[in-house]
Amino acid sequence: MPKVTINNEEIEVDDGTTVMEAAAQLGYDIPHFCYHPALSIPANCRMCLVEVEDNPDLQPSCHMPVNDGMEVHTESERVVKARKSVLEFILVNHPVDCPICDQAGECKLQDYYMAYDAQESRLRTEKVDGVKVYPLGPEVVYDGERCILCTRCVRFCEEITETDELTTAQRGDHTEIRTFPGQELDNNYSMCTVDICPVGALTARDFRFKCRVWLMNTTDSVCTGCSQGCNIHLDHFRNEVQRYRPRYNPDVNDYWMCDPGRYTYKEVHQDRLEDPMVGDNVVNWHAATQAYVSTMDEALDTFEPSERAMVLSPQVSCEGLHQARRFADEVLETDRLYMGGKPGGESDDLLMNADKNPNRRGIEYVFGGLEAVDSFESLVDAMEAGEIRVLHMMNKHIPTTDDALRARFVDAVADLDLFVLQAMHRGEMVFPPDHRGDFPAADLDDPTLVELADIALPSSSHAEQDGTFVNEDGIAQPFSQSFKPLYNSQPDWQIFGRLGDEMGHSLSYRRLADLREEMFGDAEDDAKPKTLDDKQSKSRAPADAATQPTPAE
Amino acid sequence: MDEKILSKFFDRDDGHKLEVYEDHGGYDAARKAAEMSREEIVNEVKASNLRGRGGAGFPAGVKWSFIPQETEEDKYLVVNADEGEPGTFKDRQIMQRDPHQLIEGCIITAMALDLRYCYIYIRGELKFTEDIIQDAIEECYDKGYLGEDIFGTDQDLDIYTHISAGAYICGEETGMIEGLEGKPGKPRIKPPFPAIVGVFDAPTLVNNVESIACVPPVINRGAEWFANLGVEKNGGPKLYGLSGPIKNPGVYEAPSGITVRELLESPEYGGGMKEGKELKAYIPGGSSCAVLTPDELDREMSFEAMREVGSNLGTGCVTFVDQDTCMVRLAARLAHFYHHESCGQCTPCRDGTGWSAKVLDAIEAGRGRHEDLDLLEDMTGQIEHSTICALGPSLTFVVHSYLDKFPEEFEAHIEQGECPFPSWSLDDTKPAAAE
Repeated sequence: MPKVTINNEEIEVDDGTTVMEAAAQLGYDIPHFCYHPALSIPANCRMCLVEVEDNPDLQPSCHMPVNDGMEVHTESERVVKARKSVLEFILVNHPVDCPICDQAGECKLQDYYMAYDAQESRLRTEKVDGVKVYPLGPEVVYDGERCILCTRCVRFCEEITETDELTTAQRGDHTEIRTFPGQELDNNYSMCTVDICPVGALTARDFRFKCRVWLMNTTDSVCTGCSQGCNIHLDHFRNEVQRYRPRYNPDVNDYWMCDPGRYTYKEVHQDRLEDPMVGDNVVNWHAATQAYVSTMDEALDTFEPSERAMVLSPQVSCEGLHQARRFADEVLETDRLYMGGKPGGESDDLLMNADKNPNRRGIEYVFGGLEAVDSFESLVDAMEAGEIRVLHMMNKHIPTTDDALRARFVDAVADLDLFVLQAMHRGEMVFPPDHRGDFPAADLDDPTLVELADIALPSSSHAEQDGTFVNEDGIAQPFSQSFKPLYNSQPDWQIFGRLGDEMGHSLSYRRLADLREEMFGDAEDDAKPKTLDDKQSKSRAPADAATQPTPAE
Repeated sequence: MDEKILSKFFDRDDGHKLEVYEDHGGYDAARKAAEMSREEIVNEVKASNLRGRGGAGFPAGVKWSFIPQETEEDKYLVVNADEGEPGTFKDRQIMQRDPHQLIEGCIITAMALDLRYCYIYIRGELKFTEDIIQDAIEECYDKGYLGEDIFGTDQDLDIYTHISAGAYICGEETGMIEGLEGKPGKPRIKPPFPAIVGVFDAPTLVNNVESIACVPPVINRGAEWFANLGVEKNGGPKLYGLSGPIKNPGVYEAPSGITVRELLESPEYGGGMKEGKELKAYIPGGSSCAVLTPDELDREMSFEAMREVGSNLGTGCVTFVDQDTCMVRLAARLAHFYHHESCGQCTPCRDGTGWSAKVLDAIEAGRGRHEDLDLLEDMTGQIEHSTICALGPSLTFVVHSYLDKFPEEFEAHIEQGECPFPSWSLDDTKPAAAE
């Protein structure tokens, strides 16, 4: 193992370690633009130049492997001067339009300028003109003047999605990013190029001019778009989700997430069921609970346990499902459980899964397997046969794209004696949304199930509560509350607690931690989802993140 | 120089034909090399003091010895015929008038290093030489000089010509390799060097046309004879291209280490400056070399001698500059060249070349300030040690040498607010001064 001396500190590192990685292990953060830990290394930005003794040229630390006995200086006068110069060279043709740039506030160029340059400008020459609003594809807009040509986006499309849409065109300071003729940047991950763009050259159409980044708060969360459970930064401002950004987790999604998943944040705000409803009347929670107690008490007296059923939603957190299990068991006293959720959809080899529900494995975990949970089709059959008279349904997703089956279900619901719906939305959300993240109007206008419900209770989205999803690989991933429940909604686990208490059972918890303790605490080790050990920790570090510090993105 | 080695057919219209070449002992060197071991050939080239003739002057034999001997994959020879250095026009003469010497050089090089394929990477503007070289290659295939088991050895060799899509940077060896692979000409980071990972990721030898053309004489007449034609560490005859306001501009063959004065003044070569022209400066080997003043006229044309004064022998094609030339304008012109040819990969070169060109333009147009001179010196100095290839640093040498050698001209521009050489002025609104 080679030993290298960095700024007079010696460190022994693995073969093939680059100077930048070795420096990171010693705690030196070497500035860089083009280097990205998940991409190949072109060493073209020259920001990470360091001085290597006995070498006349400054060396790019991202590319230079460590040799035994090498002596490196990352903070010498020459290096500091070179960094300053590289920043000055970048600014020669950079428009410095930070006031109207969406990247301002999270821009590497801004940060590095303040950290390493911050001198009076020596530039008097005219700048090279570039394209200013150039759509590379349906999601991504390019600004050629802000671009520093680090080629991260080009390499992303070559190496991660392997779709090869992008290249550099022209040469010298006229170089710009372009799509190849006849192509557009239209892969499932195109907005990742916006994330990895270190400056404001690539912006997402969805987020352009929407919110200054310094106004937003960020919560660590999990994407609900599919069963992959990509880790995200949930950026929100004034109780409104502004965007999702992927959060690094080598076990789940690396640095990436898909475009359709990104747009699922719109579900948090679109077409929400805002207030509890009894029949056609908007009521408050007290009235809704009272109505529930009186109708359900009567129904429990009238119908056998086998005539009562519950539809579970794999959209709901483990905490909500745990409460659902207790509620079915203790209040409804039924074991007729059926699988709800969204129907399957598009998938690919990278991150997108066909199962569009984030927590199917959570149902499996909470209910000790999926054997106890029957298919939606068998629910419809049972309802049509008149076997089910009382139905408590979580979320109004109908897990099929078969129109006939959907119609049969709706008809059967109309024949129920008691139908309770506990849902986020009024209408049916179709997934994935179309390319601009909009949901087809026809589907939003279909509040049939809400109208049919004797009692409809508004539940909160994952942004409004703490919770846990278990992804397809069995990794339990906690997510945090970003803002308080919107409108009059409540988290599912609290709704069940409230209803259960009122029905005379002790179902509520003072703290979510108590519920989690009960849910996970005495589980057998092999039955536990992989990362439940840190279920209550506030640290959101990825499960098996490298123990060695690594260079930043 | 009495006997012409590299330029013996330059005056003949039929020098490019195989029969003429063979009448003068052509392909004897290849036959001789076929009898020699690989090691003997390499050692002979090493002993000949042949220096790379493309500009860097790396000893050819040493470069050859970097090619790994036993490899599973086929190895490549790439002949750099992308002659694009401003002021340089020597390789095209070989390609046009004596292509068989080049091909014979390729054959011997391939025998020495077991190179299976050879690409001659020709500058796009020199398309006409491709036809000539291609005809010569056909002649060789007909004779069995190329193909399988050439000259009775077990060496196979195929030669292909490739026309560059056109960029100065493709003359840089790794930029050339990228271009050959069909990619934009953007130099690679070294190491790995092409000798290990070259074209199509195989070991590759990249040599200049003139370097390869020197190989047959080395083998034919021995390393000692070749080395004795030059000076210490710079062996053999060399082609010199002379340009500028001199009596006889053109390409001349002369020994390595000849003085610049002899090249300029000897009636055999340049014949002196034109009537009424006085020498003010000269660029020894293409635009990327630092400019020198007449007091360095007695310098030897060797890599060591030129490096002593901070310049370079480069390609050996000398550009003479006369008294009426505005050096600021010349520096600006060259800066524009490097700006135009920068591939755009590395930040310092991509943005620094254009910036310096614009600053030089401003000074030339009389809009300069005294602090611009410090800015130029400082800013171009930061390009020098921080880029992937040598294009950016070339601009550093250029700007620094013009600032260093002709500071008074820069000062004059700034103080007078206009170019003191009216006929060279960038400002078209002013009438040129009457002669």
